Amino acid sequence: MSIIFNNVRIIMSGKFFPGQKVLVEKGKINMVGSSIHKNVEKSIECNQKYLVPGLIDAHSHLGLFESSSPMNDVAESWAEITPHLRPLDGIKMRDRAMEDARRAGITTCMVCPASELPIAGICSILKTNGNSADVGLIVEQAGVLMSFGEVPKANARMTEKPHSTRMGLTAVIRETLMKAQDYYAAKQSKKVVKDREIDMEALIPLIRGEVPMRACAHRAEDIMAAIRIAEEFKLKLVIEHGTEAHLLAPILVEKKIPVVLGPTLLPRFREELNEKTFESAIILMDAGVDVALTCDYPGLPIETLRVAAAMAMQYGLDERRALAAITEIPAKILGVDERIGKIKKGYDGDLALFSGHPLDIRSKLEALVVDGDLFIFSNDIKVEMA
Amino acid sequence: MKTVLEKGNVFYQGKFQELDKLVIEKGKITEIVLASAKAKKGKAVPATKKKPEVAGKTIDCTDKYILPGFIDAHTHISLEEEGVGWYDADFNESYGLATPHVRAFDALKMRDRAFKDALTGGVTTAMITPGSANPIGGQCCIVKMVGNIAEEAVIKESSGMKFAFGENPKRTYGEQKKFPSTRMGTAAVIREWLMKAQDYLKRKKTKEFKEREIRLEALIPLIEGKIQARAHAHQADDIITAYRIAQEFNLDLVFDHCTEGHLIAKELGKWKARAVVGPTLSSRSKAELKNKTFDTVGILMDEGCVVALTTDHPVMPIESLSVAASMCVRHGLDEERAIKAITENPAIILGLDKRLGKLEVGYDADVVVWDGHPLDTRSKTEAVFVDGNKVI
Repeated sequence: MSIIFNNVRIIMSGKFFPGQKVLVEKGKINMVGSSIHKNVEKSIECNQKYLVPGLIDAHSHLGLFESSSPMNDVAESWAEITPHLRPLDGIKMRDRAMEDARRAGITTCMVCPASELPIAGICSILKTNGNSADVGLIVEQAGVLMSFGEVPKANARMTEKPHSTRMGLTAVIRETLMKAQDYYAAKQSKKVVKDREIDMEALIPLIRGEVPMRACAHRAEDIMAAIRIAEEFKLKLVIEHGTEAHLLAPILVEKKIPVVLGPTLLPRFREELNEKTFESAIILMDAGVDVALTCDYPGLPIETLRVAAAMAMQYGLDERRALAAITEIPAKILGVDERIGKIKKGYDGDLALFSGHPLDIRSKLEALVVDGDLFIFSNDIKVEMA
Repeated sequence: MKTVLEKGNVFYQGKFQELDKLVIEKGKITEIVLASAKAKKGKAVPATKKKPEVAGKTIDCTDKYILPGFIDAHTHISLEEEGVGWYDADFNESYGLATPHVRAFDALKMRDRAFKDALTGGVTTAMITPGSANPIGGQCCIVKMVGNIAEEAVIKESSGMKFAFGENPKRTYGEQKKFPSTRMGTAAVIREWLMKAQDYLKRKKTKEFKEREIRLEALIPLIEGKIQARAHAHQADDIITAYRIAQEFNLDLVFDHCTEGHLIAKELGKWKARAVVGPTLSSRSKAELKNKTFDTVGILMDEGCVVALTTDHPVMPIESLSVAASMCVRHGLDEERAIKAITENPAIILGLDKRLGKLEVGYDADVVVWDGHPLDTRSKTEAVFVDGNKVI
């Protein structure tokens, strides 16, 4: 199956250039340029519309949260820690939000359990097409979600757990990581015949430094706690939410810690959101921190990812970096920048065609390609079949 | 003792044909002669009317329909716990999260009226399974619908291990404010126990091994592939999760309910899935049933799956098994395949297709005589044989 988009605008060295063509073949981007002559099965005349890489949300609960239902699969509120939860086992591909995501131009999402527990589960990276989660899956183990601050505290109080302070909760994380280190060491020594422990097994890639700790933290103190623990246990670290991350920009740059920022469109309904500002993105980026924007679905509807980028522009961010924060940068933070996030030969065929500038909220998504699967959302789009 | 059924329409080799005679002897079917076969022989045997060897009984079945006894491959017949409520919370509280050592066979109540009802409805064999409140529910058994004690009825004491995915376990434990309350949690519980069982089996072979653990002992036949994994799953993604886990642990998997199977028919076809679909006559009482349709059976069969129908008794009464098949016909399935879905196919799924599910020489004499077409709901059973004994 091959698709060509004729006469589109694409970003080239930071600006949208018109008159370009993009060819997708066998699920991959095969050619990009102004003159492509090739017989293709589906040809789309785009009249200078805007083609961007499929958008990426690096932090969501898509498919775990169940639309229009009081029962969801997001959080194991009653457990102590659940590092072994796998999103794959809870994602509902036919949930309405999956269609919403496609209609918003989103082709890839990181999906993780909610941050109610200090250690919530593993993070998986998923495409939004596919009839089953396994088909859409790119990376199953892309990190372990940990949580700091008010959310796990509130959960601990509600469920009457023994630890309900920031000190107590970080102690739980430390205790578990120590256990995981020893478990891994014992396992490597090969002397002991030992039954596997499912929660410890899930932490091995983290302990080995293969995947990062993805730490949900809003306040500066909580971000620092995450950094401290990551350094003690030699873990890779990504800060999720990072509401006060802009206060720590120099530290984050020095330690090369990226931030998945947001959801910023929310009201300040909790104490730890008090310093929330749309300037965070530009402050962090100017300092040199990698920043991806998220709507933390269902924190905000998944369709608002573009709005987050547009709001950052309203507060001074330039077009190129605003767009990168929902394409290239999340791909990098998720560790899949070798295959998604750019319109480039050899990359996955994930493309979103907008009627106007993608960060103009009035523009609408007209067509989407995920792994070469074409979805048409507008009657204006005519597909010529060869 | 010998019983001979004469004349009538017999469901033989996948279709209705005219019968000359069907002979039952010592609990088995010993001879089947079609009217057409006799006709071919022609006039060589004209004077058979004297019947010299009438040592048994002959039943004239002219205009009747003769079928193998129906099989329901997923029921809770006589397990009182299921009768408590549709989400069997009591069952769950008294046992706990993972109960692989619980056996349905130990809870059968042979004087439950449902056994009689089953026979009236032409059902002679059923699989009986613990409920779906626990991620790992316990062991299923297969019994015939007769017998004063369970030992008389039994075909297999432990035929499979029940697993549950989706809403039931997460609701059961979520409402108790316990883990698991999500689909991820349910899968984690199942994986944890299967991992333990694998390691236990390995450890059992070493010198370090000391005391047996009843739950893990119960999982060994499953891990070794000697019994089936029976996965309660309605929603498409739950069905896929069941398959994912079965692959990880190399389990012999059968899908139960499979309500959204038609949405992933291609995948199920590719896996050559065996599915026990239903109870489709029940209402859409929970979110995961919202896509329930009688089309599922035909769609899955077209993809090459082996599909059986179930009443999930007591969710739907056991007599409604043939009604479910009729409903599938109303939704476009051909009669022959609808009948197979309550005879041959459940026998294949239960691993009993060498002795049940068909009228063949050598098969168990579970034979039902209907006074009209069995998929006409007005028809009733006139005679029912189980292992050659006339029970109705």
